[in-house]
Amino acid sequence: MAITFNQVSYEYDANSMWSQAALQGVNLHLESGILAGVAGATGSGKSTLLQMFNGILKPTSGTVQVLDITLKGGEKAPKLHQLRKRVGLVFQFPEQQLFEDTVEKDLCFGPINFGYSLEEAKDRARRAMEQMGLDLSLLSRNPFQLSGGQMRKVAIASVLTMDPEILVLDEPTATLDPVSRAELIQLLHRLCREDGRTVIIVTHRMDELLPFANQWIVLHEGLTVFQGTVKALIEQADRMESYGITIPQSIRYWRSLSEKFGWSEEDPCLSAEAMSKRIAHLVNSEDV
Amino acid sequence: MSEKLLIGRTIDTGSWVHSIDPRAKMVAMMLYVVIIILSNTWLEMAYVILFSLIIISLTRIHIKYFIRAAKPLWVLMLFIFIVQCIKVDDKNGAILLSIGSWNLYFEGFKLGLFSVLRMVFLVSFTAILTFTTTPGRLNQGLEGVLKPLKVVRVSPDRFTLMVSIALRFIPSILEEAQIILKAQASRGADLRELPWKEKGKMLVSLLVPVTVGAFRRAEDLVHSMESRGFRLGEPRTKYHRLVWRKRDTIFICFFIVMLVAMVWMSGYGTGELWTL
Amino acid sequence: MKQHDLKEPHYTPDATESTSQSSDVIPGPGYPAIELVGVSYGYGKDLPVIDDISLSIPQGQWVTLVGANGCGKSTLVKLMNALLSKGEGSIMVKGKELQSDTIGDIRKAIGMVFQNPDNQFIGATVEEDIVFGLEGQCLSIEVMEERVNSYAEKLGITELLDKHPSELSGGQKQRVAIASILSMEPEIVIFDEASSMLDERTRNDLLNILSDMHKSGRYTIISITHDAQEIAASERVLVLHEGKLIADRTPTDLFQDEKILEMSHLIAPFAFQLTTALHRYGVDISIPNCEKELTEALWPLHSIK
Repeated sequence: MAITFNQVSYEYDANSMWSQAALQGVNLHLESGILAGVAGATGSGKSTLLQMFNGILKPTSGTVQVLDITLKGGEKAPKLHQLRKRVGLVFQFPEQQLFEDTVEKDLCFGPINFGYSLEEAKDRARRAMEQMGLDLSLLSRNPFQLSGGQMRKVAIASVLTMDPEILVLDEPTATLDPVSRAELIQLLHRLCREDGRTVIIVTHRMDELLPFANQWIVLHEGLTVFQGTVKALIEQADRMESYGITIPQSIRYWRSLSEKFGWSEEDPCLSAEAMSKRIAHLVNSEDV
Repeated sequence: MSEKLLIGRTIDTGSWVHSIDPRAKMVAMMLYVVIIILSNTWLEMAYVILFSLIIISLTRIHIKYFIRAAKPLWVLMLFIFIVQCIKVDDKNGAILLSIGSWNLYFEGFKLGLFSVLRMVFLVSFTAILTFTTTPGRLNQGLEGVLKPLKVVRVSPDRFTLMVSIALRFIPSILEEAQIILKAQASRGADLRELPWKEKGKMLVSLLVPVTVGAFRRAEDLVHSMESRGFRLGEPRTKYHRLVWRKRDTIFICFFIVMLVAMVWMSGYGTGELWTL
Repeated sequence: MKQHDLKEPHYTPDATESTSQSSDVIPGPGYPAIELVGVSYGYGKDLPVIDDISLSIPQGQWVTLVGANGCGKSTLVKLMNALLSKGEGSIMVKGKELQSDTIGDIRKAIGMVFQNPDNQFIGATVEEDIVFGLEGQCLSIEVMEERVNSYAEKLGITELLDKHPSELSGGQKQRVAIASILSMEPEIVIFDEASSMLDERTRNDLLNILSDMHKSGRYTIISITHDAQEIAASERVLVLHEGKLIADRTPTDLFQDEKILEMSHLIAPFAFQLTTALHRYGVDISIPNCEKELTEALWPLHSIK
């Protein structure tokens, strides 16, 4: 089990007059090596949840277990250095957090903090660039002169250099154009499939993650109101609307088709390609 | 979004004080500073405290907010207290405590306490201004109070525009800085776990993304203002016009009466027992 | 972190107002609101950001401007109201040539909503933000009050008038920005990726606002977006590629042209993707408007046999 949350609550400014509950009793179980999508309306607690995965925020109450490290609400946290290395957290608009004068230096920042030699760090930087599909010639460039999409990838690579077992990203595709978005999601999917990393992605565009995510978590007002597979999600699609989530077109079409033609027991086909193949099968198989 | 600053927060209880013209409140706060400075004896201080508590109760804001407002300055207060304690070297006075060759005199202790008390009231009381006035009205008040500066060719509207933009964006920039700190912590540089020397380095590295971010915001803001037809120095009408009412004069009169009383008391002296 | 903005009323066009206004303010549909002739802009001769663009947008049209990031879309619209100083060519807005002495009038005719909801919020409260532009137009207090109230109501933000921007969600801030712009009563409204930082639900809200604005007939809308739904709802799509205008067509035509889609980094709406894929599998149906239309189109194909 990569991540287990047991009745986790979190309050901002817990001891002040303005304490605000962001999470209230979240339960969560995520296996290693999966790609999980986290959805929920603005203010549902998604960003807060992410920051608990590597101990940036500590639970006010409840137990957070990530890999073999346990954080208990109300108890003093253990040293989190190791956890930070093993769980890479990418904030929203990570390109706005770049600060060194070359891409290479920015990529080496993490590994050096975790005690690797400069040589090893540079080696990791190169590998991370390749993993993000970036040209190595960019290493010597100033990060601020890259295009928006490149900067985003460099910023994600700067977390990959730590070779984390779990990679957590907050809306990694926000403000990118649709083609770059699809490309980025595919890169992230590859990190999960080929390297066996657990990848957790917060998104408000469920459609782009639908063909890839093994697990979905839906948050609403600080509570996990859904955790399960895409298939279960489709069954409960009506309920999702009330949590402020827009049901993607592909799910709508699949639901309508499966009701009409009795496919509800089948694994959902959610890409246009897969769905049309299924439809073609329906139309043609009865040709005889 | 966490650790919100208390200063600059409006607490709306809809009290009488809230409705006072911001200019009146600003002038009143200046008078209060003078009153505090003039209060040199315990009796005078007692009057000031009584007066302050009455005004505070008029705001209908819970006293705990005012106490909290002074809290961030406790280091400074402690410092002042210690300095006062050390400073007084009264050979004839009563000794409260002696450590080695150094004596803590009763006089010094009293003086230290008095200074801290003054400071607490100064900070807590003037918080009335921000507690009871929205940033917008505060800014209009500022513009009004600064009007005399026109004589020396300083344009108050430019100045207040600057102040209002700063007030508007400082919280956003702080929040951004906090996210960057968190992101750096995620990459193994946790400010809380680093040695002091490294901490300094970290804060310097924070400057690059924060500055870049501030410039990005500034550019966006300029575009937004220009596309809404804003040009510096062009004539504008005012939506909110401050209207001076009788209650505003009454409010200021409280403070003037208090000030006169202070001057009178310090002029005549109020007996040996009460002086410091 | 509180959530306020889910089920807000939509912007509802005021029918009576729009008809009374349209007769004397707007010269009638078809009249060009914006005309560009040979407009170029760049940093030096070798790096044109905008390369010889000519186009005309009639009054009342809803135009989407698309293209990959860095193709010059944002530069182009910023040239229209002189946020960027003019390069070569001529820009006419409402029949007036853009020159240093007409900038004021032209900015009055063009309202602009930007991408970042937080950075375009000028006032310390919602009300002050709306009023900022009105004060610059030197309107009387009575008129300003009237505008604030009516536009706040149209955009469903009346309850938020006293709020500080930090108390608002991104979607609510974007609503405020639109109210601020519309209250200045421009005839042309430009949305510069205004929906790209919003979540899906609020993006739909924004789309409804745009549709209602278009229906009211009072506005010429130019919107920069990557959002397939928003493109589909507009009347005309202009495609920019490396500073050049490479296509000018209807959304339906655009979504069926895979080459242009690829050049402009766009992905067609799911219904288009599905129909294109179905064609490849030999199933010919027309593009469905909703999931029901698809099942209804498929039903006979399936049951006849």
